[in-house]
Amino acid sequence: MRRTAGLIAALVLANGSALFAGSAEAQMPAPAYSHDEIRRIMAHGPWPQQPLRDPSNRVSGNDDAIALGRALFFDARLSPRGDLSCALCHQPGRAFTDGRARAQRGGAALPRLDRNTQGLWDVALSHWFGWDGGSDSLWSFAIRPILHPDELGSSAVHVARLLRGDTELACRYRNAFDRSVPPDEESEAALVDAAKALAAYLETLRSGPSPYDELRDALARADGAAAARYPASARRGFALFSGKGQCSACHFGPNFSNGEFHDTGVPYLVAPGRVDSGRHGGIRRVRGDQYNLLGAFSDDAARASGSRTRHVAENHTTYGQFKVPSLRNVELTAPYMHDGSLATLRDVVRHYSELNEDRLHQDGEALLKPLHLSAGESEDLVAFLRTLTSSSFPDVSAAPTPCRPR
Amino acid sequence: MNSTRHPLRALALAALTVAMPAAYAACDAGPGVLRGKTPKVALAFRTDPATIKVGELFSLLAEVCPLAAASVTGLRVDAGMPAHKHGMNYQPQVSNSGPGKYTATGLMFHMPGLWQFTFDVETSAGRERIRVDYQAE
Repeated sequence: MRRTAGLIAALVLANGSALFAGSAEAQMPAPAYSHDEIRRIMAHGPWPQQPLRDPSNRVSGNDDAIALGRALFFDARLSPRGDLSCALCHQPGRAFTDGRARAQRGGAALPRLDRNTQGLWDVALSHWFGWDGGSDSLWSFAIRPILHPDELGSSAVHVARLLRGDTELACRYRNAFDRSVPPDEESEAALVDAAKALAAYLETLRSGPSPYDELRDALARADGAAAARYPASARRGFALFSGKGQCSACHFGPNFSNGEFHDTGVPYLVAPGRVDSGRHGGIRRVRGDQYNLLGAFSDDAARASGSRTRHVAENHTTYGQFKVPSLRNVELTAPYMHDGSLATLRDVVRHYSELNEDRLHQDGEALLKPLHLSAGESEDLVAFLRTLTSSSFPDVSAAPTPCRPR
Repeated sequence: MNSTRHPLRALALAALTVAMPAAYAACDAGPGVLRGKTPKVALAFRTDPATIKVGELFSLLAEVCPLAAASVTGLRVDAGMPAHKHGMNYQPQVSNSGPGKYTATGLMFHMPGLWQFTFDVETSAGRERIRVDYQAE
């Protein structure tokens, strides 16, 4: 009741004397936010979300595990040749992406991977990880690049030896897991623990509020003057996003993603004669993954967190589907789509405006249609997307104080 | 808003809980219970949680009541968005919890909008299909 009264007050206040910041519209009074407009804006918040502990990871939220995970994330010794770290592709200064269309470890002589490097801000809000959702937990997601020969190409034994051989890492490990690093013959446990520490660190990558959140918060507290500071172009862009464009059907909720998978007409031919099966392959991979949430390495005794894995359906329409990415901080994560084939946000908007329906799955969803946006509408959508960039980020690369044995 | 915080709503929920067995027995009554029927069978169900949250797994408890001389032998549950021509990304599992009573787990609506449940009721006289609409917000 109190919130409803506040929203009604916001309607009235926003219709008053506040002015837009844009020069062309600087003398125009802000039109009122309608009840429906406010309802749709509210659906994408609040932000930030409250952090949740991962029941499958017994060191989720543990300070020593976070410090260990942070150290491992930036440590090139995690790769056998000492030349690759997680941070090489997931660069903090690039919103934890690498700016490339498709990931490529090291120099140009090494093979290019099939997919674009995804950002890691707010990654813990997902249920499926990777463009194909081939991992069902953040820690199992961390294991894959450590072992994959085209990425770090490491091994469980190598990880165990790194943890044992470094005083600081060994101390953090002991504090976090209440035991010493296992010997080589139990190195798989050390690998999983290292991944759980990495996951504990990744859970701390939480972006701050954006201008969009400031608008939402202003409407929630009936602050019409603050709400009116939201750019008019972005407001029109949001109306397209949540209306005619139907973008919010998939880019749903506070994280602007429903966390699921869709075919958006982006080609999935990787190379002549080779396709990226997307979600179809991801479902098979996660089901066969010994590190999935139904397996022996999950710390969730009831395996309740594995319900999605237990029930996920392997439909043929999942072929060529890819994960709906969060749009928070999307301005910072170019290029776009699973293969990085679209260089800018304008290119992405143009993709949906001029959508080639022939590229969609023949018996797939009947949701996407070409939007046929005008130049002005396209600019408005881009303006809206840019208001999803956080105004502040925590310092996630600062080294913690040295470990003190407990 | 947390529905249990409102005293009247909490009271209503408590009343619903108490009233549920009677509603299920009749397959045609009870607040908060969704219903559908054909000339041969009636079905009543409620979801858990009561309000389906987009992107979150939910389960449902269903009771099927024969309206003609036939016995219920099984139930299949599915759902989809007719306007988008897609189903769920998850495969529910249905278990029998008593005569005509079923529990389905592992359902998820991954988009807001109009969804439609499809219940295929197996009876000794053949299969009956019941569809029930649900608007997910």
